[in-house]
Amino acid sequence: MHIYIYDDYVNTKKYDNALARIETRITDLGLNGKIIRLGLLKNINEAVENEIKRGAKTIVAVGSDRTVNKIINAIIIAGINNQMKIETPLGIIPVGNESNTIAETLGVGQEEEAGDVLSARRIEKLDIAQAGHSFFISQAQIASQGTTLEIEKDYSIEIMEPGEIDVINLSIFSNLPEKAKPNPKDGILELYIKTKAGRKLTKLNPAANQSLFSLKKLTIINPKYPIILDNSIAVSTPAEISVNRSLNVIVGKERRF
Amino acid sequence: MFKSQDEKEKIKEVETIIGPSIKVKGNFNGQGNIVVEGILEGSLKTNGDVFIGDKAKIAAIIEAREARIGGEITGNIKIKKHMEVVASARIFGDVECASLSVERGAVLNGKCTMLPERKDEIKS
Repeated sequence: MHIYIYDDYVNTKKYDNALARIETRITDLGLNGKIIRLGLLKNINEAVENEIKRGAKTIVAVGSDRTVNKIINAIIIAGINNQMKIETPLGIIPVGNESNTIAETLGVGQEEEAGDVLSARRIEKLDIAQAGHSFFISQAQIASQGTTLEIEKDYSIEIMEPGEIDVINLSIFSNLPEKAKPNPKDGILELYIKTKAGRKLTKLNPAANQSLFSLKKLTIINPKYPIILDNSIAVSTPAEISVNRSLNVIVGKERRF
Repeated sequence: MFKSQDEKEKIKEVETIIGPSIKVKGNFNGQGNIVVEGILEGSLKTNGDVFIGDKAKIAAIIEAREARIGGEITGNIKIKKHMEVVASARIFGDVECASLSVERGAVLNGKCTMLPERKDEIKS
């Protein structure tokens, strides 16, 4: 059975029409299933775990990047709790104007269009990264100010200008340098640092303020700012970030990796 | 290999870029090509090529396949194939390489040893 998990924000009147259209499309495609509404649940992890144990065919996140992140965490934790490799794929139905960069990157269209992607059931096994006790599929971001990066105890990186740090598994932004080619299937994370170099220097060479490293594990320390995972969830530091798990995900033809 | 600063752009597969606002401390071991424009302290070893920018400041041992050296380097350099030293380079350390070119204006203070081309990989 397909399990549709509606985030709490979609359970408002504003999204009644959108949900009705989605549900009609899902019915037309013969993909009906059980609906779980997050607002009424005490424990999403437990609900997802139970549905997987009952043999769910797909777990579908209906909402935004935040919803996708919650469901990914629930699926991975279910696997850890039961010491099993979970093959149940994750599907996504983006709803509304909330941030939906993960779905976009995976080639999943908005609302009803996402139904067609679910129906095509194109499954890719993608890496899942971990930051502290939380999991994420796309990027971890933090301000460079006051941040120390330690790379597998071999070396440390100090950033001398203000800017932004991205640890990328699946790139949700299109402004990365050409040479950075994050691949969510290679078991490697890309560390991308963009600093605010002088305008003159940036004018002469647009790549002048960019740094790039490929790695498997790093520790981020910043006593002031948290790390933002999947464009939505904040995690405090120090946090070790690594990539050591994977998840089946239903993707669209237009995916950007 | 690297004829000018613009040649850096021709390195198609860059594994690592250490930008001008970045300071790396420790032992950096890579497999691919590395561009250094910032500060590096410790050691830098790769099986690929190294491009050291004109404003880089390095206090480290460097080992690579080929290299374009600019900037200020304090430490010994071992290059398996060709090493190109450009005018901006200030090298304070011994150099070992199979082939060498030095541009007018470069400073090289150290022992220079020419080696036959090695085929073995750098042990990291």
